[in-house]
Amino acid sequence: MHGTGLSGGALPVAGGLVISLARLNRILDVDIANQRVTVEPGVTNLDITKAVAPYGFYYAPDPSSQQVCSIGGNVAENSGGAHCLKYGFTVHHVLGVEAVLPGGELVHLGGSLVDTPGPDLLGLVVGSEGTLAVVTKVTVRILRRPEAVQTLLAAFDSIDAGGASVSDIISAGIIPAAVEMMDSLAIRAAEAAVHPNFPDADTVLIVELDGPTAEVRALFDRVEGICKAHGATTIEVAQTDEQRARIWRGRKAAFAAMGRVSPNYYVQDGVVPRTRLPEVLNRIRALEARSGLRIGNVFHAGDGNLHPLICYDERVAGQADAAVDVAAEILSYCIEAGGSLTGEHGIGADKSQYMPKMFTEADLALMQRVRAVFDPGGICNPGKVFPTPRLCGEVPGPYRQHPAEAAGLADRM
Amino acid sequence: MPADAIVIRPGTAAEVAAALKDASDGRQSLVIRGAGSKDGYGRQPSRIDVILDMQRLNHILAHEHGDMTATIEAGASLRHVNVALALHGQTLPLDPPFADRATIGGLLATNDSGPLRHRYGTPRDLVIGVQLATTDGTLAKAGGQVVKNVAGYDLSKLIAGSFGSIAAIVSATFKLAPRPAASKTLRIQVRDVEALAAIVRKVMASQLEPIAFEVVHRTVSHDDRRRLTANDQRPATVVALRFASLPIVVDTQIEQAAAALQQWATSIEALEGEAERSLWSAHATEVWDVPGAIVRASWLPTNVGDALGELERHATGAHAAIFLTGRAAVGAGHIRIDGDNAAQATVVRQLRTSPVFGNIVIVRGSPELKGSIDAWGSHGDRQLLFDSLKRAFDPNGTLNAGRGPL
Repeated sequence: MHGTGLSGGALPVAGGLVISLARLNRILDVDIANQRVTVEPGVTNLDITKAVAPYGFYYAPDPSSQQVCSIGGNVAENSGGAHCLKYGFTVHHVLGVEAVLPGGELVHLGGSLVDTPGPDLLGLVVGSEGTLAVVTKVTVRILRRPEAVQTLLAAFDSIDAGGASVSDIISAGIIPAAVEMMDSLAIRAAEAAVHPNFPDADTVLIVELDGPTAEVRALFDRVEGICKAHGATTIEVAQTDEQRARIWRGRKAAFAAMGRVSPNYYVQDGVVPRTRLPEVLNRIRALEARSGLRIGNVFHAGDGNLHPLICYDERVAGQADAAVDVAAEILSYCIEAGGSLTGEHGIGADKSQYMPKMFTEADLALMQRVRAVFDPGGICNPGKVFPTPRLCGEVPGPYRQHPAEAAGLADRM
Repeated sequence: MPADAIVIRPGTAAEVAAALKDASDGRQSLVIRGAGSKDGYGRQPSRIDVILDMQRLNHILAHEHGDMTATIEAGASLRHVNVALALHGQTLPLDPPFADRATIGGLLATNDSGPLRHRYGTPRDLVIGVQLATTDGTLAKAGGQVVKNVAGYDLSKLIAGSFGSIAAIVSATFKLAPRPAASKTLRIQVRDVEALAAIVRKVMASQLEPIAFEVVHRTVSHDDRRRLTANDQRPATVVALRFASLPIVVDTQIEQAAAALQQWATSIEALEGEAERSLWSAHATEVWDVPGAIVRASWLPTNVGDALGELERHATGAHAAIFLTGRAAVGAGHIRIDGDNAAQATVVRQLRTSPVFGNIVIVRGSPELKGSIDAWGSHGDRQLLFDSLKRAFDPNGTLNAGRGPL
């Protein structure tokens, strides 16, 4: 646990036992020829890419926190990043895990070879937010760096024009490696924090294409044409790796940068079908006007994953509560549009009470039934994901020493 | 399928759930069936009382082409689905065996795939949501309608590979892909097994981006070997590399691949149009067209030389001919063993203990073969979870007549 989670998925419960995997931080095996790397869960996401970069390979999922977030946390949350539209999520890049069940049994799900027979328990455990098992080893697939990468930054006078460009790109059968949008508040914040030299616009769109050189060249011209047709006010094409890195620095710093324009802010994560983006963003704009709280928008436009950043000042009475209400209302817009409560940050402790908005009682009961298969006592990460935990790890009553404490292996936090 | 089994043809999700509950309450054995393309997979079935024929549930419930997703009922055939999706230039990019008949539910339940797996993965990689019916009559959904979603457990993954043993798939939502504008295939007759291993390494280390990368290898049987002259004794090994994109991109990649791989080829040709289509349709059925036991098998991609060497030894030892077809860079495919039951069983046992191959599952075999060797093999330390899962979802042992992995 490196503490980068955004949904309280790793919050301990009172009296609970925390198992820190931070010491399990070794890279165990690097098999470049077969494109597989096996690591312990405390290894950071970016360290996998660093280990294989000299050979021309990389690990595809790239959450914004990739410099610090651990692969174990990525497996728990099924982390995404900016390049999911083309390359998928953690679940598409993990080949196998070794895990310890809450009963203490060691199990191997998936492995170096594909097609483990039977139900895909690996795919189930990835994204289960630590409620099914404790992952102790992870084998991931690495990818060859594409022959070409081309990135552009287009500025628009309205979010609708940016959104229409995205729709036209996808309708043309182009699957960009990444399609990101930021609104004016997010742009200003990023500019103040890391100076990416973004234009002062209502909306910027970042489009990245990768693949064979001939393909990137041909499709990039079409993407530029589509942006121009929708009235892009400026288009900057990154000519060097440094320019490309600068554009991404601006995008990836956006969450943290909000601290430059607001004393406090709440990061929301919701998903809508891509075609409903303009409608939902307009509802968010109306909510912003109504609530009096500024809302910055940074989102993965290609897959409809919104990250509204709700600004508030906790010193002003009532604002923190108002921000929570605004965040909840945005989620209800996502669900009404046929989307999801979370695209990549997880349900955790933060959103468990909203699960009944997306799932029926029968849906949740079936998930609970699966949980009980792995963790009949409900001891594994209690109080997360589900709205009414059937069992709670909280032990009432006087202090009792845990056996691990007695053995000198654990401390009270 | 037994003649005395009752056939139920549900037309609604509620009818699927009711049929499962009735069978479970009445302690009957129920098998879920689409087009029957996978009737031979897995163990020999025990008693079958009810066949749940899903083919009336064959609608595309939604094709959100702007979002590139589709929600499809389990009994819809892949072929019909792809005809409909093509109207908007999209496809569900799967090409499993029996692709002309296979249904969506069967595909997801068996997680079956074909050459396109190289680029697009298997059904579990494409599914984003599912509606399930369980033996207590529950109808429940998991996942969602959007491509990016991590809310709750993704039961659409759990159901992939479950072979109808824990629940019935009523419908599923998939992410789609755009149909590529052009396609060409490089067919390479490979000099020998060492050359094949070199080709696999070269392609995997390269920046070529094929959508399919197949290997086909045929051992020469003991009897053939005696008949053939020394010069003809080399086994036939073929590689097919398919590129699909804009025409100019396809041409460039075909040229680059041919130049890079020429040194290991005895012949190399680029196919397009009708010739390319017939190559791929012949390839899809080649392993199934001849009688013989067929297993699914996995290997580490760069171990392909050792893998084929091992098949040669098994073929010689068991007086069998062996045919392998699979995804070269994924390290997975089918192995057909032509020979009598005893020879087939010997080879399957050898594959099960092989240092190179793994995950050997019998997908076609005579009742005698399946009687002498378990179709699934050991589940290792996963058995505990499979047992517990089966108890939780199918406590009366209603589903799939013992054919599945649990």
